[in-house]
Amino acid sequence: MRVIQADVAIVGGGAAGCYAAINLHRMGVRPVILCKGLVGKSGASIFAGNLVISGRALGNSEEHARNTAEFLIKYHNQFLIDQNWARRCGQWIESVYYPELEQAGLYLRRDEQGNVVTSPGKIRSVAANVQGNSGVPFMDLRRKQVIKAAIPRLEETAVTALLHRPDGSVCGVFGLDYIAGEYVAVLARAVILATGYSDRLHARSTGTREMSGDGLAIAWRAGAALVNLEMQWWHTNDMAAPPSWQRMQVYPNPMLGSEKSARMVNAAGEEFFNQQQDDPLAYGPYTVQLKALARQVHAGKARYEGGYFAGFDHCDPREVEAYTSYAKGFRQLGLRFPEDLAETAVTAHYRQGGIDVDTQTMRSSVPGLYAAGGLAGHSNGLIGLATYDGKVVADAVAADIRQGAAPDLPEAQVESERRRLESLRVARTGGVVPAAIKERVRALMWEKVGVEKDSAGLASALDDLAAIRLDLLPRMGLKRTAKAANYEWLDAIDVVNMLDACELVMRSSLEREESRGPFMRRDFPLQDNANWLAANVIEPSGNGFRFRRRPYELPFFRPDFDTRSNLEVPW
Amino acid sequence: MSAQESTFGPLGPERLAAGEARRLGQRERQDTLAQRNAGLAVGDAVRVRIRRFDREGADEIQTFEVPCRKWMRVLDALNWIADNAAHDLAYRWFCGSKMCGTCAVRMNGREVLACWEAVEPDMTIEPLRNLPVIRDLVVDRAPFDEKVAALEPWIERPVTYPGFPEPLSHKEMKNASKALDCIGCMCCYSACPVIGLGDLTDFAGPAPLVQLGQTALDPRNDPAKVARSLARTGIFNCVSCYKCEEVCPASIPIVSRVIEPLKARAHALVPAMARHPRALRTIVAGRGRVDPGALILRLQGFWALRNLSRVLRLLLRGKINPLKTLLQRTTPASGAARRVLGREEEP
Repeated sequence: MRVIQADVAIVGGGAAGCYAAINLHRMGVRPVILCKGLVGKSGASIFAGNLVISGRALGNSEEHARNTAEFLIKYHNQFLIDQNWARRCGQWIESVYYPELEQAGLYLRRDEQGNVVTSPGKIRSVAANVQGNSGVPFMDLRRKQVIKAAIPRLEETAVTALLHRPDGSVCGVFGLDYIAGEYVAVLARAVILATGYSDRLHARSTGTREMSGDGLAIAWRAGAALVNLEMQWWHTNDMAAPPSWQRMQVYPNPMLGSEKSARMVNAAGEEFFNQQQDDPLAYGPYTVQLKALARQVHAGKARYEGGYFAGFDHCDPREVEAYTSYAKGFRQLGLRFPEDLAETAVTAHYRQGGIDVDTQTMRSSVPGLYAAGGLAGHSNGLIGLATYDGKVVADAVAADIRQGAAPDLPEAQVESERRRLESLRVARTGGVVPAAIKERVRALMWEKVGVEKDSAGLASALDDLAAIRLDLLPRMGLKRTAKAANYEWLDAIDVVNMLDACELVMRSSLEREESRGPFMRRDFPLQDNANWLAANVIEPSGNGFRFRRRPYELPFFRPDFDTRSNLEVPW
Repeated sequence: MSAQESTFGPLGPERLAAGEARRLGQRERQDTLAQRNAGLAVGDAVRVRIRRFDREGADEIQTFEVPCRKWMRVLDALNWIADNAAHDLAYRWFCGSKMCGTCAVRMNGREVLACWEAVEPDMTIEPLRNLPVIRDLVVDRAPFDEKVAALEPWIERPVTYPGFPEPLSHKEMKNASKALDCIGCMCCYSACPVIGLGDLTDFAGPAPLVQLGQTALDPRNDPAKVARSLARTGIFNCVSCYKCEEVCPASIPIVSRVIEPLKARAHALVPAMARHPRALRTIVAGRGRVDPGALILRLQGFWALRNLSRVLRLLLRGKINPLKTLLQRTTPASGAARRVLGREEEP
């Protein structure tokens, strides 16, 4: 086992984790990044299609600035957001984020004359190099900043547990370098969890291979309160096939340098959504699209699994290809571009909720444990928001860790976690392979915890999950027990986290007795602002859990009704 | 031949012998990939041979039959095998949509991104070349990462950042922008024959050069910094064979838009690196022809005579002609060559 000493252990190598690391390094604090994938190359951050222009930057008018804020609060978060945080974040994005990125070398796409290319409309955006692919050069820049600063990276290392001091505060992490097959413990004065917005818990999910709800499960087992786990967000037009492309989106957002955007067509060939016409304010129109699709599904003209189409057959291909990567996927499948539309389907995307944090500091309810980015459940995702979390958490951690002694290795905890992982690395003839259990769980989530849910389905999902725990988990075994690059062993470790994360999601979904934006309950179809304009907090209690409701303050924007059918609400 | 194989479409193994995959790729690029996608129907059997390897000594080819799904990619076939047939198969992937660049493998002898490439009726899947294999299809990325880091592929500004947005046009970023499409998948690194020579050269390889090109071809970067990085690339060992361009899943024109512009930068900023191409250029510009004898004289002088047997072999095979080299210093093409290449300083 390797034991590493650091000031701060950061779990996650996406936008939030990298930016936290870079900022801590600048402040003279020694961070270590542990990443289940590769820093800047895995997770959701590379999927950023473009960057939203905040505030008055790049010729934005006062109205643009207000629209962007309204979009973030209403369309993106359905008011489940700290509006004061949103204001601070917007100001920071305007004044610090773009200049700092550009100064570091990020190429915001220009035209031949040197103008920054933007999308027109009520909310504007820019792209890093190419629209649809902005996250790749963005995160590649972060990766290189981390390398340049010589910040240690433990990559392809799955963190499996938090380590505690005798007083209960968090003092490090334990994990497995699954390529080398070696255990690792990082001792630190603070731990930042930044494992992202999306987990691969559903049959169709934008969560990448390595994502299995680890952040939620680890934080929960360490006693942290979680929030709004039911607020699952969905992509409505991701490629229906092939399976590995399930997270490849036919982007509905406004296109750079064009007045047009993708259109969606039902099984009968009727157009039912086109962002520019149907929802000019919802810049990332995912919730509005989902509601439009739900109506098609109710009318029998589409299924959440497919049978509807999206594409650019109303556009001049030169217009689409001038600044976007959108044509490439179509062409790779042998489709004609732009004449052919692609069959699309719904995919579980980001979770609005996560670890409950104080948005001023990103502290969780457990001392020494912080969360940033998607896992910090205070806003739905955009790469700029995740990055701002990285800044806030770095400032808070740098101030907090001045007090307190360097931790000692908690030998008993390390030994117990090592034994737990070893107990998962066993061969079992006639056993159940971890991949089969993963598939079972994802199918169950898709079927009973999908776009539209109800209490009967959720209760039955909890029963199914309990049955998996009782019947399948004890029989889980591997084909080969090698230590190095044993992805089956990693799958087995993932299964345990997935079961915990899914149960938390199911219980939180049962608790919120309303429909709100992308959260649709058949048995509670109304959006209920009188009772549920509130954070749905789940916290450990004895051997179980309890829920707590915390209303949001509404200093700048507020809904203008108490209850209304969620499908009739435009955002 | 099994009954299943006879159901293969026109691109099946009857028409395509093993090892001809490269020709297949060329034919299809002209067909915008439609043929490759039409080569199999849903439900057809895809025969997949995978090289299984571990450091304990196992090294064998295992064969699987996978039912074809709509628009199936190589990665879908690997996922099917791992879920249903070989649960312990080790292969790397994260995003499944050509962004993370971690799933590259060799399929029928040609580097492909598994998530991006369509399955073929009969596929042999092997790990990338030129990197140590850890297990099955998982290679050690560390040597590549270290090479990239050693080139310090970042911007150092010679002047203060003027503020957002800074003056910059796409025209100036034309080549760097192409390089920015790189996802670091290492397909080109595996395909490069010069990297395949191992330690015989100090060539950084195509992928590290593309990574460097992202900032070295950026007009905002300090030329002194770019020169320091270029000096570590061994870039003139590139033989311009275009293998890298051929396999690049991001369709980056690696030679024409990255390596050639970087060579031009090296030529200008680190003249000592470019001794050979500068000498050749001077000779062609002056004489209107390639004169190997003059090239040897310019690069090695009379020290070349130390390897007398090689000089004699070159003489016997007519590769060099000292009389011509010494006496025929111009040809009728000299004027035209000079006009095309311009007058070059002596190296």
